[in-house]
Amino acid sequence: MATILVVDDEFGIGELLEALLQDDGHRVFTAMNGRHALERMAEATPDLVISDLMMPVMDGANLLRAIRDNAEYKAVPFMLMCALPESSIADRIQGYDAFLRKPFKLAEMSGLVTDLLNPKA
Amino acid sequence: MTDKMESGFAQHPERLGSGVAGLDTVLLGGFVKNGLYIIQGAPGAGKTILGNQICYRHAADGGRALYVTLLSEQHERLLANLEQMIFFDPAKIAHEISYVSAFQLLERDGLAGLLTLLRREIVAHAASLLVLDGLVAAEAYASTHLELKKFVHELQTLAAAAECTMFLLTSSGATADASDIRPEHTMVDGIISLHDTEHGWRGERDVVVRKFRGSDHLRGRHALCITANGIMVWPRTESLPLPEARRVRDPAAPRLSSGVAGLDEMIGGGLPSASSTVVLGPVGAGKTALGLQFLAGCTQEQRGIWLGFYETPERLLARAREMAPALPELVQSGAVQVHWHGGAEGLIDRVAFDLLQSVQTQRATRVVIDGLLGFEDMTVQPTRIPGFYKALTDQLREFGVTSLCTAEINERMPPPVAQPPLDRLSTLAENLILLRHVEEDGALRRLVSVLKMRDSAFDPRRRGFSIRQGGIVLDGTDAKMMGRRAASPDAAPGA
Repeated sequence: MATILVVDDEFGIGELLEALLQDDGHRVFTAMNGRHALERMAEATPDLVISDLMMPVMDGANLLRAIRDNAEYKAVPFMLMCALPESSIADRIQGYDAFLRKPFKLAEMSGLVTDLLNPKA
Repeated sequence: MTDKMESGFAQHPERLGSGVAGLDTVLLGGFVKNGLYIIQGAPGAGKTILGNQICYRHAADGGRALYVTLLSEQHERLLANLEQMIFFDPAKIAHEISYVSAFQLLERDGLAGLLTLLRREIVAHAASLLVLDGLVAAEAYASTHLELKKFVHELQTLAAAAECTMFLLTSSGATADASDIRPEHTMVDGIISLHDTEHGWRGERDVVVRKFRGSDHLRGRHALCITANGIMVWPRTESLPLPEARRVRDPAAPRLSSGVAGLDEMIGGGLPSASSTVVLGPVGAGKTALGLQFLAGCTQEQRGIWLGFYETPERLLARAREMAPALPELVQSGAVQVHWHGGAEGLIDRVAFDLLQSVQTQRATRVVIDGLLGFEDMTVQPTRIPGFYKALTDQLREFGVTSLCTAEINERMPPPVAQPPLDRLSTLAENLILLRHVEEDGALRRLVSVLKMRDSAFDPRRRGFSIRQGGIVLDGTDAKMMGRRAASPDAAPGA
């Protein structure tokens, strides 16, 4: 069982991911934007962050930068979600470990989560 | 102009067939995969049959379907009713199609519990299609409109993530009033509305696609029937798009003989290829005889179809033996098909759709529609007839068909007047031929006049004719008649 932080301003996505990951036996907590996510991370460091890119207050790119700049969090795997294709954001956002295009497919999401939580040696 | 500019939609997202050919035509290919749709209608409108028909079609195509009921029919009654339907296949149940009752869980855990169950069952069954029958029960467990919208929104997210196309069946918002908008309507990708409407003593069913995101569709009402084949839909003929490979009119294309030598002389050698002709005339004037003779010109290469409403095929062939002796053999060999639509009630769009299908499979180049009033008698919307006729003949023309339609008028001299709604046909038809009677020496004499002929000159003089063994025979130009009290051919019917 892992602890996963889901960050998305769209409640349907957040709630679905929370439910699906809980069904797989993970502990899940959610946040509505990047700033909210950092507040939640102060309570407990997650094993994985799954974050949307476009959010109010603090977007996914700034959240990613804040995590990578923080010694305590910088090793936490980060999955970036976006409705745009990865090719359109890859040149301006670096440092994420996996990319999930919205609307995502369950199998794809589940596979990426497994890969990020169980990195091959 | 690009497709996108014309229709507003450039993409053709992947589709899911409904199992109802006519509905897929209305949706221009079927439902958009992984979408969320509402199927609404009053009790008895056909929602459950349509929902199941979609499931069995999906299973037949290799998919898996989940049918979840909420305080609707008990499963044993539902399945017993479905057994009457041709699409029902018990071998699909339990593996490809699973039936689940979720009302108790809804009662206990509310919408959140229902959502959890749906999510888990979709994953467990690897379902790519979900039908939730009885959304109205779920509505009752939503404390606010917002809660119901949230439920629908989460279903939509699940549909995309699970790659599962979803249908919510409900009797809410099922009135024919398009202004009856409910909160959940704003959330879904499409709304299919089924109606069963009484018109005087008659009842007719129809389907309307009220909303369809991501794709164009055929708007308005379309005829629907429930039979042992399940739901059947016939798109409104006036809404049908013209075939993509449109024919370019070739003025030099050879004309088609009317089957009457003297008449061919009057119209420049025959009827223009791929044109529409209306033959107006009173009872007994020779309209059907002319149609039979026109169709007798078919061959194995140039096939034809007879569409009639009043004379049975047997009686028609008996007349053909007298007036167009070549025709019975053409029917026997399959070069000519006879479509007969007896009975007082029917659906004009079904007749038109079947005709157009046959034109394509038969590769027909000649079509005779004997008795346009048959369409008027059949429909509860007679005001549709002129537009319907135009749409039908436009389709026939695009398929390269030369059509000849007969229409009865009251004999009033002068002038002959077509009754509404046939009066507008004179302006819609490309070619117009008028048959009449006149009294001469105490006997009725037949006359033929050409009122209009597309792209060509014609002999405007009326000619006398008789119907003998072998068909219509024209007399010489009847100068005598010019001074008699006959209707003026220059006065177009209805003018």
